[in-house]
Amino acid sequence: MSELRSDSRPDSVLEDPGALAVSTMYAQSYMTAAVSAGSTAPEEELNSLIDDVLAKFPEFRDLLMSDLIGRDQKLVILDRVITPQCSEFFANFLRVLINHGRISLLPMIRSVLVKLQEQAAGKQRIRVRSARPLSGSARAKIVDHLKSTFGFEPILQETVDASLLGGVVLQVGDTVYDSSLRSRLKQLKGRLVEKAFNEIQSGRDRFSHPEGD
Amino acid sequence: MKFKADEIASVIQKEIEDFRGQIQTAEVGRVIEVGDGIARCTGLSNVMSGEMLEFPGGTRGFAFNLEENSVGVVILGNYLKIAEGDEVRSTGKLLSVPVGEALLGRMVDPLGNPLDGKGPVLTSETRPVEWLAAGVAERQPVKEPLQTGIKAIDAMTPVGRGQRELIIGDRKTGKTAIAIDTILNQKDTGVICVYVACGQRASSIAGVMEVLRQNGALDYTIVVAATSSDPAPMQYIGPYAGAAMAEYFMYKGKHTLIVYDDLSKQAVAYRQLSLLMRRPPGREAFPGDVFYCHSRLLERAVKLNKELGGGSMTALPIIETLEGEVSAYIPTNVISITDGQIYLEPDLFWKGIRPAINVGVSVSRVGGNAQTKAMKKVAGSLRLDLAAFRELEAFAQLGTELDKDTQAQLDRGYRMVEILKQRQFGPLHVADQVVAIYAGTKGYFDKVPVAKVAETEAQLHEFIRTEHADFRDKLVAEAALTDEIERMLKKALEAFVARLAVKS
Repeated sequence: MSELRSDSRPDSVLEDPGALAVSTMYAQSYMTAAVSAGSTAPEEELNSLIDDVLAKFPEFRDLLMSDLIGRDQKLVILDRVITPQCSEFFANFLRVLINHGRISLLPMIRSVLVKLQEQAAGKQRIRVRSARPLSGSARAKIVDHLKSTFGFEPILQETVDASLLGGVVLQVGDTVYDSSLRSRLKQLKGRLVEKAFNEIQSGRDRFSHPEGD
Repeated sequence: MKFKADEIASVIQKEIEDFRGQIQTAEVGRVIEVGDGIARCTGLSNVMSGEMLEFPGGTRGFAFNLEENSVGVVILGNYLKIAEGDEVRSTGKLLSVPVGEALLGRMVDPLGNPLDGKGPVLTSETRPVEWLAAGVAERQPVKEPLQTGIKAIDAMTPVGRGQRELIIGDRKTGKTAIAIDTILNQKDTGVICVYVACGQRASSIAGVMEVLRQNGALDYTIVVAATSSDPAPMQYIGPYAGAAMAEYFMYKGKHTLIVYDDLSKQAVAYRQLSLLMRRPPGREAFPGDVFYCHSRLLERAVKLNKELGGGSMTALPIIETLEGEVSAYIPTNVISITDGQIYLEPDLFWKGIRPAINVGVSVSRVGGNAQTKAMKKVAGSLRLDLAAFRELEAFAQLGTELDKDTQAQLDRGYRMVEILKQRQFGPLHVADQVVAIYAGTKGYFDKVPVAKVAETEAQLHEFIRTEHADFRDKLVAEAALTDEIERMLKKALEAFVARLAVKS
């Protein structure tokens, strides 16, 4: 499964939301254009370009994505190196990206495309955080439950976070369902403190004058 | 009494056994960038404008800018602990502060956290910081007086309950002193006071606290403090938080007084936030909605109608000007929002006329409706008389020969100016004010040397309080200068003048 971030980036570093919005636009257009161009698997060529060419020849990637090289020069390079080996539709897509100065978004467009295709197939990614690695049965249970509740095929992205102490935290889109032991203990603490507060207050009220002092 | 450890343990055990935690559902996002008290976050797709958000470690913030791809969050607290990639949780609640009786006598920050070391604020009630001001139908005209205890104000620029009266002037002209005197004068009147210090030095806030404590005013006062060392968001929400605390009492039918000290610093804090959030700057680099920032705050000062309990919130916003420049952006804005202004001048202040109120420029648009009948009667022509006196005084400085009548008018003017002087932290009851102003305008002080007027006035109050207590009680009770009371007053004043003549 392709990840949004490459391994060299720390987890905390996020993508620019503006770039993500632009990439989504390109990915959607690419998918729609692929249908009208009769391309059945538009992601194949894209994956191959990124994994087989750009990943293996980082100098070529840098050349293509560098701002030092002009658009016209990039187009010439594209025509010499890539166009003879790919479909005319994909070559056109790359030309548009180069012309618009968006070629550096290629990896992000790929990851968005994967997500869009998953969505079209009725799947959605769910982030699951748990204190310990999930057992097979627990995983199946979570998948079943999500399927029956939300009506889509969940793709679990599991992470282990020992600070949760126990339980799981599910994130669907921007919404988090938190049933971890850590947050339950926090709730319990809040409730005990509140109860103590009320006790103190009622103790005070007993001694104070009803009409104020 | 001995604590029973077992009992406590069993109570807690039972509490834990009965505890059924619920799954917490929350909208989350992630911090993309953070700095200078603000954070930009992704996610949070359903967050509301002004919604309270929680960062890891419990630091709170609120959604300030809702943009296409990100949310601009204002951080209320230490932003140095927040890092890129941190999770932000929405709480589903608008920014709220604790309210209630428990806050009286306390000093809290704009989020309601105690700053005075007297333990937690024991209240379970909260109120949103931003609250829509009462509509037209929910109000009634301002007609009850709110006595400031300062002769010059109560006589010439009276403040009514539910009015917004601006106190404006350069630095060191006694703006805060007027507000504090007004708070001190609310003792035993049932008026709840809120003093919002916004961008003030911590030492001066401590000074105000001490004055309030010494004069027994803390029992009915809440101090909301956002010092100049607090982050800009705290200074920005301070006035709104104070207004929310006062509104709690107002909607319970009580009268409240709120002092915003001062709004020019709040505007500066708001400018900082807006510029950091990349909102476009306008005049003096303030954002376009800085007028709305103040107008929505000051509109919350109202006199509620009877169905809503008839409570009121009187606002005394303070604005600091630079070199007497009232035509700067923020002063003109706030002047146009409020129902009048008390204008303080450094020249008067250094001449020894304190409070240094410029009578000519100070106005109260609610005016005479908010005065007791007695005060209205004695102070009716005071403002015009003083204006005439100023004109004459300027004329007399040219060294012109003056006729007897003009000289007499001048002499009385000098004495009136002396009578309107008042020491700090010495608010006077309105009945005493009426006596002093009546005595001054009717010429009972004409024989007293100008330098001795203040001393003689103090003697007069003492004399009335000890020897004519029945008259004073009557004046206090009726608050009007009926023929009978006026006769009693004249008699008392004549007796006083006679005694003065004997002494000298």
